[in-house]
Amino acid sequence: MNNIFGLVYSNPSYILIATGFFFLLFIPLIIISEFLFLEPFLVFSMYPETTLSFSLIVILSFLSSLAVSMNIYRVKLIKETKKIGSSIVGTIIGASAGACSCGPIAFSVIATFGTAGSIASSFLTIYEIPIRLTSIGILGIVIFITSKSLSRECKVKF
Amino acid sequence: MLKSMVHIKKIAVAGAAVTLVTILSIFATSYMSDFDTPRTSTTEGEFQKLELKQAPVLGYDTATVTIIEVGDYQCHMCKLWFEETRPQIVENYIETGKVNLVFLDMPFLGSDSIPASEATYCADDQGKYWQYHSMLFTYQQEIDDGWANANRLQAIAFNLDLDIEQFDKCMTTDDHFARVNYNKQVAVTEFGATSTPTFMIVNTDDGKAQRIVGAHPYSTFEDVINSLL
Repeated sequence: MNNIFGLVYSNPSYILIATGFFFLLFIPLIIISEFLFLEPFLVFSMYPETTLSFSLIVILSFLSSLAVSMNIYRVKLIKETKKIGSSIVGTIIGASAGACSCGPIAFSVIATFGTAGSIASSFLTIYEIPIRLTSIGILGIVIFITSKSLSRECKVKF
Repeated sequence: MLKSMVHIKKIAVAGAAVTLVTILSIFATSYMSDFDTPRTSTTEGEFQKLELKQAPVLGYDTATVTIIEVGDYQCHMCKLWFEETRPQIVENYIETGKVNLVFLDMPFLGSDSIPASEATYCADDQGKYWQYHSMLFTYQQEIDDGWANANRLQAIAFNLDLDIEQFDKCMTTDDHFARVNYNKQVAVTEFGATSTPTFMIVNTDDGKAQRIVGAHPYSTFEDVINSLL
């Protein structure tokens, strides 16, 4: 598995893709979850009760960036897209957890969908941690399967 | 069989992509709408639209600066702000007479949010608004899990030594329902709040104001209040 990571990230383009995707997910998530405020001043704030939530966002963003960059490598290598869907699903599940909270997204969802929106918003807020853990699990499996698949394909290719 | 599996997978990938785009669109729309409305400051005229004369005030009436907090008693970020940031503001600004605080209800998160807000005004009828307000945030649990149902609201009133008969009558006859709804309407339409907690910090002498969206740390409030004093 180490060899596969070495193989993929020996190409700086994939480090760039992974880094880019990490921040593409991480920054919106910490803004939505109210860790980073842009106005009236740029402020980062973390209450002791939200440390776990922040840690899960970091892990989720990191695993998503790995899964996506490895799958892009895989697509280029064997022209097959079947695992990208799983990475996206894992990322969406993790990103949606806690996104509602008391923020503007919850307000929009509740205003648009009424009681159903309220129930959905509550569900995503209450089960934020388990949903993020599930998402991390999905991404872990995707990375494991992708690396296995890559090592098999690479053996055939080289 | 294999073809149909491939077809299903394609649909699944397309579905996932559509969901991602939808989530991103909602995110962009929600936040861009925030940027459309004046966020860093508001005019004196805008502030004067808010009719909060009957709202209970925490602190001295003579304070130069007023913090208007828009909140929902079921919002966990409001609870975090209440526990982590508010005590420092109370100690350094409210107790020293520089600032006072007003709470504007925006109950939108669940079905128990409105009764919780109503209960605070029923407690206010007996002179214990802020005590009841504090109890709600102290004992807040998950949205609509029963922590703010009728029995629990009554139990809080009992713990505060309120006249239970009067409190129950107030709750069952919805004495303050119109007031809570009015506050919500003011918060959304005139205040432009789309999330809780949202704060408007106003210098009541010159009308200068600054909006803060979210459960910011104490340092943000310190900077904004000092700039308005």
